[in-house]
Amino acid sequence: MLWLCILLPRFAPEASAGGRPQAERAALEVLALWALQWSSQVSIEPAGSAGRGSALWIEIGASSQLFGGHAALRERIAADLASLGYTHRLGAAPTPGGASLLARAGLATVATTRTQLRQLLAPLPLTLLALPEEPLAALQDAGLQCIGELLVLGAAAIAQRFGPGASLYLQRLCGEVREPLRMVRAPQRFTSRCEFADPVTDTTALLFPLQRLLAGLQGFLRSRDRAVQRYTLCLEHHRRAATRLEIGLARPGRDAAQLLALARERLAASTLGAAVHGLGLEAHELLQPLVLQNDLFSRAAQHSEQLQQVIDRLAARLGESAVQTLRGAADHRPERAWRMSAASVTASAAAPVGPAVPVRPCWLLPQPLHIDRPQELFAGPERIESGWWDGADVARDYYLARGADGAQLWVFHDLRNGAWCVHGLWA
Amino acid sequence: MTAQLLRCAPHPGRDDLRLQLERMYRSGPTSEEAGPVALPTGFAQLDAVLPGGGWPVGAITELMPEAQGIGELSLLLPALAQLGGAGRYIAWIAPPCLPCPQALTRHGLVLERLLLVQARDAQAGLWATEQALRCPAIGAVLAWPAALDDRRVRRLQLAAEAGGSCGLLYRPPAAALQPSPAALRLRLQALDAGLRIEIQKARGGRTHALVVHPAAAVCA
Repeated sequence: MLWLCILLPRFAPEASAGGRPQAERAALEVLALWALQWSSQVSIEPAGSAGRGSALWIEIGASSQLFGGHAALRERIAADLASLGYTHRLGAAPTPGGASLLARAGLATVATTRTQLRQLLAPLPLTLLALPEEPLAALQDAGLQCIGELLVLGAAAIAQRFGPGASLYLQRLCGEVREPLRMVRAPQRFTSRCEFADPVTDTTALLFPLQRLLAGLQGFLRSRDRAVQRYTLCLEHHRRAATRLEIGLARPGRDAAQLLALARERLAASTLGAAVHGLGLEAHELLQPLVLQNDLFSRAAQHSEQLQQVIDRLAARLGESAVQTLRGAADHRPERAWRMSAASVTASAAAPVGPAVPVRPCWLLPQPLHIDRPQELFAGPERIESGWWDGADVARDYYLARGADGAQLWVFHDLRNGAWCVHGLWA
Repeated sequence: MTAQLLRCAPHPGRDDLRLQLERMYRSGPTSEEAGPVALPTGFAQLDAVLPGGGWPVGAITELMPEAQGIGELSLLLPALAQLGGAGRYIAWIAPPCLPCPQALTRHGLVLERLLLVQARDAQAGLWATEQALRCPAIGAVLAWPAALDDRRVRRLQLAAEAGGSCGLLYRPPAAALQPSPAALRLRLQALDAGLRIEIQKARGGRTHALVVHPAAAVCA
């Protein structure tokens, strides 16, 4: 066992120090979900009355090999915490208590064995011990100054002189007695939220708290080996229904930075109807992640990843239906011989083009446009008679004509009413 | 203090500068990784006069047809078909009409590799164009911007450089009167038979005029 303790002295600054223990606890729970990506054993302790700040423990002994050793893992965790804007201290030891004591002492050295831990603890002052004031004062009155002097006394003597609580604490600290920790379990569905001490009126101010919530989502998804293709931002207002923003991805993903980039575009494109007092994040539909999410990519996989990101970014800003792919449809009527569908990297199966038709112009007008009968017709006719079965039947003769400006027009003569229309351009 | 000023002061040239710095410090691809600097147009007589022998890659080309429907799109189709065949995507940003799937397929384009992007206004269209140009998976970006100034074209030019794609902008004939930082500028004119191309500007090349026959109206 190797426990990494993260001490958060000024935790959840947006929860306005001191006054809002619930908000602080909620923020700590989000961070616990984030921590689950590193290990399945995570425990938290919200800031108590002792004023010691909040603490979070991660068991990194079992998982450190996956992340290139415990030093590398510790660095990654520290970098992540810094990018999330958390002031923190780290300590690592075979016991949770030892890890938090080393963190409090500001010792970067990792104690990998219990002997090493005792050696590291020995010169540290007694005041670092997480003991109530009374036994602590008694220890100091007895003339003890550093932890080493206390540890040589032995458990029985300590219990007799300073109470059983102090003795048990020291035994757990040194690993002679196992410390019972309550482990954080990943919930079945992901919801998390945070409250703001001051209402937010600018969407960009939501990005920082959102980054923390998304870090929680990423940890949650990694720990359960799942991904999302859709998530919801819930902007909570005072005495008003919350604004819900649905954010979709072209294919399942779980990278917090990518999820944040999409939310950024979406928020940039929306205006706040009212001040925001709280922010919620929900992801209900958990999907199988696509392979190669985080591994070395082949060039093609890299391309599809880059493409997915640009599709998502465009859709987040311009709307879900703004990015589309085109395919042919089996209909002789040109206006019905195509289909648009939402662009997606995964849709790679060759789509049918429809029946073989004579050559068509590159541009189709959205609506046929009435014109006078052309002076001269260059090619044609191609007769299209179709659609008697669905009430939108047509009977037309198509020709090539030339506009006054030199444009080559695809025109038709409507055999039902004699009208002439332009339907396309030979661009 | 300085950092704060930089963050707050609205300075018109700042984005340009940032893009330029990005370009300067971006670690360029190694020579074997780098794609071709030009994409053959599919028209031998045009390739012969274009610097690099084709549509410039990682750069902006401006096409200024005197009217719509004179073969201005067919001129690009052979090159676009090559890109699709090579697995790269083609983004169409706010096209003026609907591209006909049967016509594109006949010219060898892979429909699955087309992305059609609708933009509600000109600004959104430009933003989308820039995003698409920056994506290395997209080989060519076609756009029909309503109005453009120098600064905008330069931004797009830098985006095309960053993504290594062909930026193909259709602009009104009047744009030919203004200078532009685009790498290649062509004026297109309809003839009774064929399309007259006037190379107004070609970075690293000469101005020239020639006639090609895009295979648009096969039945003509």
